[in-house]
This record gives sequence, C-alpha cells and structure tokens, in this order.
Amino acid sequence: MAIASAMPSESYPSAKVVDRAASAGAVVALAGCLLLPFVEFRPNRIVDGRLLHLLQCAGVWGWVLLAVLLLSLGAALLPGRYRGRGLLAGAVLSFGALLFALGSATTKLMPAGDTPARVSIAGGAWIALVGIAMIWFQGNRVARSHKASAAAALTGTALLVAAWWFGGLSQLSLAVEYRAQADTFWQLTYSHVLLVLGGTLIATVIGIPLGIVAARSGFARAVAIPVVGIIQTIPSLALYGLLVIPLAALGLPTLGTVPALIALTLYALLPIVRNTFLGVSGVDASSIDAGLGMGMSRRQLLWRVEFPLALPLVLEGLRAALVLTIGIAAVMAIAGAQDLGTLIFLGWGSIAVDLVLLGAIPMVVLSIIADQGMRALESVVVSPGIRIPREEELSA
Amino acid sequence: MISLEHVTKRYGDRMAVDDLSIEIDDGDVAVLIGPSGCGKTTTLRMINRLIEPTSGRILIDGTDAATLKPEELRQHIGYAIQSVGLFPHLTVAENIATVPKLLGWKTARIVSRCEELLALVGLDPAQYSRKYPRQLSGGEAQRVGVARALAADPPILLMDEPFGAVDPLNRDRLQGEFLRIQRDLKKTVVFVTHDVDEAIRLADKIALMRDGHLEQYDSPEQLLDHPETKFVHDFVGADAALKRLGRVRVDSVMRTGQATVRADQPDAIEAACASESRFVYLVDADGVLVGWIDSRVLDRGTPAAEAATRVDWRQAAVRPDGSLKEALARMLALGYRSLPVVAAGGRLLGHVTLSDVEKTMEGGDAHLADHTDNEAGSIGGGGE
Repeated sequence: MAIASAMPSESYPSAKVVDRAASAGAVVALAGCLLLPFVEFRPNRIVDGRLLHLLQCAGVWGWVLLAVLLLSLGAALLPGRYRGRGLLAGAVLSFGALLFALGSATTKLMPAGDTPARVSIAGGAWIALVGIAMIWFQGNRVARSHKASAAAALTGTALLVAAWWFGGLSQLSLAVEYRAQADTFWQLTYSHVLLVLGGTLIATVIGIPLGIVAARSGFARAVAIPVVGIIQTIPSLALYGLLVIPLAALGLPTLGTVPALIALTLYALLPIVRNTFLGVSGVDASSIDAGLGMGMSRRQLLWRVEFPLALPLVLEGLRAALVLTIGIAAVMAIAGAQDLGTLIFLGWGSIAVDLVLLGAIPMVVLSIIADQGMRALESVVVSPGIRIPREEELSA
Repeated sequence: MISLEHVTKRYGDRMAVDDLSIEIDDGDVAVLIGPSGCGKTTTLRMINRLIEPTSGRILIDGTDAATLKPEELRQHIGYAIQSVGLFPHLTVAENIATVPKLLGWKTARIVSRCEELLALVGLDPAQYSRKYPRQLSGGEAQRVGVARALAADPPILLMDEPFGAVDPLNRDRLQGEFLRIQRDLKKTVVFVTHDVDEAIRLADKIALMRDGHLEQYDSPEQLLDHPETKFVHDFVGADAALKRLGRVRVDSVMRTGQATVRADQPDAIEAACASESRFVYLVDADGVLVGWIDSRVLDRGTPAAEAATRVDWRQAAVRPDGSLKEALARMLALGYRSLPVVAAGGRLLGHVTLSDVEKTMEGGDAHLADHTDNEAGSIGGGGE
C-alpha cells in the first residue's frame, strides 16, 4: 500500500504487478468466510449461542459472496487498465452479497413471531467486512476517479437499504437493537456530530490565525507550537480532569457539553495550527519576493499568495482534526457528554455487544465521511497548479 | 531617470553598498555586475525599497523614493528575478495579471493586455494563458516572468539575473528577444548579472561593483577598451576583442542574395551548382532551411542532391538578432566557415561567414560605435 501511494502514476493504467493490498483483502475476506463462523444464533438470553458457518446458514447467498470475492481477487491479480474500477465493483458487490448473506441467514434461523431469539454477526463476517474494506479503499486509490468512487459509495448504500428492506437484514440482532434505541441513537449521533463540528470549527477559528502568526514571528512559534503539541500528549481523560479546576473557578459546568467542547477544541488545535504554520512558512521565498516586489501589501501577499499555497496542508490539518475528534468525542461520554460514546459505555456496562456496535459503527462511518469529504473539498478549492495531478490531467 | 546619490547599506559592521552614486538615463539598460557579494542585488533591491538604504537618496524622475509608499512605488516598477517567482497556484494569465489587478484594472483590459504580452515574449496566448507554471519549461517560465514584469507597462524594469537559471542556448535566445523588446519599449532597465558576456551584450552602461563600491561605470566599449583599474581589466578578461563580438548583431554583417533552391527540385539544384556560387542553400516549400551543398566538394557525376548536407536549422543556423560571438562559437563547434541565418520559423534569410566575423573583430571601435543602427548586410552586401 505504501508503495502504491508513493508512486500513484506507476499503479495505473497498465499495472503490471499484482495489487498486494487488494489481493490481501480478498484473501482475508475469503478466509473469514470459509474458516470462521459467520453468524451466532441464540434462541434466548440464557442458552449459549450456536456458531454457524457461511455455507451452513446463508444458502445461495453464501455461494454468491464467495463468487464475487473470487472476482475481486481476480481484479487484484490480473493487470489491466480497469483494475481500479474492477476492484471497486468487486468490493461493492461483495459488500452487498455479505449483507444479503447475513439477512438470508437471519431469516432462516429466526423463529416466527415475537421471540427472544437473536442472530448476531460472528467473527467470520466481521473479518470478511474488513477484507472487503481493504479492497474498497485500494479500489478508490487505484481508480483515481471521483466519479467511480462516488458511484461505488452510492451503490453500496443502495445495497444496504435493499438488504435492510428486502433481504432480512432488519431481523439481525444489531438491527433489532437499533430499532429499540432508534430515537436515542439518532439524537446521540446528532450531538456527536455537533460536538465534533463545533470543536473543529472553534479550533479552526483560533488555529489558522495562530498558525499564520507562528509562521510570521519567532516568538509566537516558540510559544504556540510547543503548547499545542503538549496538549496533544495529555491523555484525554487527564485533560478532562485538568479542565475541572478552571471551569469550576469560572463557574462553568464541569460535566457535559462545555468541557467536552473545550477538550475537543484543544485536541483539534494541534493539527490545524501545525499544518497552517508548516504551509505558510513553507511557501517558496521567490514567490514572496516576487509578490512584495510587485507591490503587494503584507495582507495581499497573505491572502493572494501565501494562504492559497498553504491551503493543501491547512485542509489536511482540518481533515486530521475531524477524524481525531470523532474518536475523542466518544471518550468524553465518560464525563457526561451525550454522544455515540454514551451507547458504547452503556453497552459495556450491560455486556450488550450490539449496543457497543451501535455506537462504534456510526463513528467509523463518520470518520470515512469526514475523510472523503475533506478530500473532495480539497479537489475543489485547491488550485490545479499545486495539486498532485490526476492521470487525466497528466495525459491531456 | 534614476539617480542614486551616495547610497550606503550597512549590515552591522559590513558595508554591503558603500557610497554608491550612479545615474541611469531614461531608456537605457544599466547592468550591475561584479563578483558575488559585491552589492549588486542589494543595490537593485534598494531601488524598489525591498531593502531600505542606511543613508543616501534614490531619486526616480527627481522624486525621492523614500517619500513614496513602498507598495505604490513597486507597482510602478517592473520586477523580474532569477528564480522567476511565478505563483504556482495561478495560471500564466493570472500571474501576468498580478499588478494590473493590484492597480484595479477592468477585466477586459487585463485579458487583452495578457494576450498582448504573451505574444510580445513569443508565447502563443491561446496555448499558454491557462497553463500553470509547473507545466512550463525553464525558458518559457522566464518569458512569462518578463511578461509579468511588463504587465502594467512600468517605465522602469528591475531584473535580477532574469536569465540566470536557463541553459546557455536558451539564455542567448532570451537575450536576443530582450534586446528586440527593449528596442521597441525603451524602458529604463536596471539589470543584475554576474555574466560579463551578458552585460556586454545587453548594456548601454555597465556598473562594475566590488565589495560594495563602484569600480567603473561606463559604456561596454569604454569598459573593454579603457578599464580604469586592474580589477576592471581582470574582470572583463583578456579577450576584449572576442567580447566585443557579443555586441554585434548577426544581421549587421549578414550577406543576402545567396543561391537558394528548393530541395525537391533536382534540376534546379544541378543548375545552381553549376553556377558560380560556392554554397547552394536548400529550402522547403515554405522557405525553411533544410540543408546546403558546398559546390567545391561536388564529384562530377554524382547527382548534386545526394551531396547535400542535410541540417536542422535549430542547430546549424543562427538568428539575425543573435550575436556574432554566438555565431563564431557555433562555427567553431560545427567546423563550418559559414553559417546560414534563419528567421523564427526556420526561413532562410541570408548567411554569415567566418571572414566577415574576423573583419569585424579587427574593425574595432569605428564599427562598434553605432552597432545598434547597423542595417542588414551593411558590410557584405550581395552574394558571392
């Protein structure tokens, strides 16, 4: 993977070698499906669960899943111009087949009527999901096409909806748990997103000017960069504890949203300040000399030359801040913040794995959305003159 | 007119520029030259106040530059630097538009000015306007840099080794184009270089600096013929006669009326070779040089067309605005005693011979005095 990302132009269009990352993903997914149990069936809460393998429980969808995984492996092994799109198609179809296999197993195993029985996802299916994700990410990387990536994401979502409504997925224990908690779930997801966006926004408003000032003045650099760096090294719970004293002194609440927002802001500062600083101070001296020499004021130079040139790094800092705070926000639930972490801690407390998953899965999805969204934003707002060129532009 | 009056720049104990006084007339190219660390770039940057002098005054058309707002001063002085400093996130057109935008020009005016300037520096506007700097070669980037410096039509141009980062062949071409543009625009140019040949070729006046002070400020001819100090003499080197050639344009000694035939007409070639001419030049349908025949090496019996020397005009020809020094170097390198002269697209204009170059070298001052006014073919005239 490292090699592929370091030399993007080498991996396309006529990739001659085997795509190791994608083929590893396909092998992992196949191994998960064949060697490990796919679902766990518990008739009620007292009896131990029964573990079932893919081909034991999923019927024809088990074979479909194996077939599309083999196709993905083929796309990873065979060289060709359309490998990236092939991998994306393979990943999306595998994802869909996995969902329908889970749904089909659930439908077959669940007794009719109101029942305490539960069918939950077992190790093999989880590992298959990880393998499929590997193929998917590699497909995005190799295809280097926003259109193909977006089409894959849309198809994947459509397949999820279809498996939910028509494929029996909604009978899975995770789905049952979701229905029981739906209102809480969406409320917590919403406040999680608000916390993350709020913290990152405040950090951006403080961090970008701070980074610019640090790039301008040695004193600011000597103070700001180490300080935001030290904050980053403080474990989140310790930071939370440290915040109690000043918050209490100011008469602000020491539990809940306010300290969580402050902590998230502090953590988001480092990537934003550091990247803005690096971006602005890394602007080529000749560009600055030319700008000043042509009569730009310092302010014009900043907004017309330095900041646009620093933008790729600034956006990278924002992306890192978003992904970082999505994770840290969950920990803040311990001290009373209402977010997806609340579900996770609740689930741990009551040994309800499905509840933990209900908190964890949306965080993964949020991270992916933040990551991809920021990359898409970058491709829109960063000048093509300083963007890493895509293949179409190179050959044009 | 730019006047530097007792300008001094001190960094701590070090005198970067020490009591420098020079005057640069309107429309002149003044070249600041000297070994590195002599203060030439510092001097240049004091004119647009990127560096403030420690003492002394810089007058631009009688106005003390220190009394003007630095940004306004700089917007009215073109600035081109060695590293070019094109903004990588802006297109060629946007780069050129920098100063016009700062001055608040209307969009339509900026667009037409960009096209005009790109054409002036020899780049096709349709092809280059939307390119980004990283898509340009070194020579193209330098041209855009010059176009950007000229954008708002400033009366003064400051150039800090603007051709320093390109290969010798391209530098020579850029110098020729600079002279062509300067003949039309008549800017007051202050030009920093460390290349003596470049200085001699481009300058109306050369200011030779050393350790922050002025050694001599004179025309290139005076500097070559009458160096005032040993340092000046050593710096310009012993080959003054050769260096003088750098100031003579090829078209000033170019001969025209040479025998020229179409390469795809064998009969005409035979006929031409049978005539008096020593060299018969071959051109294609558009008049572009494709080769020549030296009638002295012709064997009786073999078709003349087969004895032709086929050449690429890009390598085996010189341009009319090139210098004789370049022509001589090319002759020596290729082993020819005569070189064809071609226009921009390769169209044959005439030729220049080694003996004419030698005559020019011996001719000395009388010939050099009015080098810029020489008409094409003023020495040789007609064919052989």
